[in-house]
Amino acid sequence: MKSFDGENMTDEMPTMSRFERRETDVLLTYADGSEFSVTYDDLRHSCPCAKCSPLRNEDEASKNLRRQVEALPKEKPKVRIVGNYALGFEWTQGCSSGIFRFERIWDLANRRDPDNGKPYVHGAW
Amino acid sequence: MSDSPVTTHDPNADDTPAEASPQEQKKMEQAYAQMKRKMSMEEIGKKIKHKVMVLSGKGGVGKSTVSTGLALSLAQQGLSVGILDIDITGPNVPKMMGLDGQRLHVESGRIHPAKGHLGVKVISMAFLLDSEDTPVVWRGPIKLGAIQQFIGDVEWGNLDYLIIDFPPGTSDEPLTVAQSLPDIDGMVIVTTPQEVALLDSRKSITFSESLKVPVLGVVENMSGYTISGKAPPGSDIEIAAPAGKTLKATANDAGEFSVTLDIFKKGGGKLTAEEFGVPFLGALPFDPGFVRGGDDGVHRIVSEPEGPSAVAFAAIVAALQEQIVDDPGAGLEII
Ligand SMILES: Nc1ncnc2c1ncn2[C@@H]1O[C@H](COP(=O)(O)OP(=O)(O)O)[C@@H](O)[C@H]1O
Ligand SMILES: [Mg+2]
Repeated sequence: MKSFDGENMTDEMPTMSRFERRETDVLLTYADGSEFSVTYDDLRHSCPCAKCSPLRNEDEASKNLRRQVEALPKEKPKVRIVGNYALGFEWTQGCSSGIFRFERIWDLANRRDPDNGKPYVHGAW
Repeated sequence: MSDSPVTTHDPNADDTPAEASPQEQKKMEQAYAQMKRKMSMEEIGKKIKHKVMVLSGKGGVGKSTVSTGLALSLAQQGLSVGILDIDITGPNVPKMMGLDGQRLHVESGRIHPAKGHLGVKVISMAFLLDSEDTPVVWRGPIKLGAIQQFIGDVEWGNLDYLIIDFPPGTSDEPLTVAQSLPDIDGMVIVTTPQEVALLDSRKSITFSESLKVPVLGVVENMSGYTISGKAPPGSDIEIAAPAGKTLKATANDAGEFSVTLDIFKKGGGKLTAEEFGVPFLGALPFDPGFVRGGDDGVHRIVSEPEGPSAVAFAAIVAALQEQIVDDPGAGLEII
């Protein structure tokens, strides 16, 4: 995994080696042998696309987004690899636009806020 | 244009009239042409190993300079490369590639690209213009149709890389291309270090997420101006730079020195890249040779294949190639 010296990059993120889609969550295995699970609801709630990100700026909108995500039928996503730094997920319903950098997934795996408290970057849109 | 090239047909309607009305016939012909185009786009997608879009938030930041530079730098590696210039607002790629005044070459219904410097194949919206000064005013659907045609009907042959130069901003064109051409590797975003350009390039990055095309990286153009000169070996040089700064250098054993003036604020491209967590591919110096090259049709990389700008391009291309994976996901098991 290539790393950049930006301060928001997570230090020492191991390379993801396995992405196992289970019924309602994904089991992630990293090259150092560590395992994590991330629910699809968490994944979808943290979508980094331009439409979903701003919704997490405020608590109320964020909770709303959460409810919308939870109301979607449970399904396993199609996974595609983006460049060599991210994954994309395709769902039959709801938003499939977000490109999830490995750092974002690593944050989710470690139960950290992947937005770092500022999901929406001013000037974009 | 409709997404589905096939018109619906009722299988029970065996008693179709022997002759279709002229309108129906025309519709069928259009559907057939559309289907053929779609198939040929898929075919083209397979023959071109890597497709890279070049975008910028603003015009005039050097998108075409970077597109042609990337193409030539890749061609310098011995790869077969094409450029598709669909910047309708100012298609200046032909000029930079020494192909000024070329017209579209069509043979048995297929469009054949022109061959520019280092054998790079070029198709440009400029090939459709009567004269350089004709402003191209296209209505939306015609414009997008022309782009699809440019993608589907061009005989590229086998290419290692196709570089696509877009109009500035977040318009319809990237969407059309992203939807027509399968397996785009991603986009390169060109910016200058100024705040305004940066803000616009941030827009492009967000835009890329909505297109589902990954950002391969950010290139900062016109990053600094390098002054070189000669002085007695080992002597110290001081140059008065803008904002009261002094730049220092020491002449080497051959009596050569160089210093770099930052014309705009430095490092903005890198910061933008970091802010979004996308790769920073590198910076290109301000080089008046680019402007001359644009005017006399000899690209900087061609006129000075080992000069500082060519070296900078080679580094950017190396960083780009690192982002482009021949076998994506090698090592990641998805089950
Ligand atoms: N690094 C550079 N140094 C000097 N001039 C440059 C550089 N990059 C671009 N230019 C000049 O700036 C002008 C705009 O560049 P161009 O590539 O046509 O921009 P765009 O395609 O973004 O509109 C051209 O005259 C070009 O020669
Ligand atoms: Mg241009």
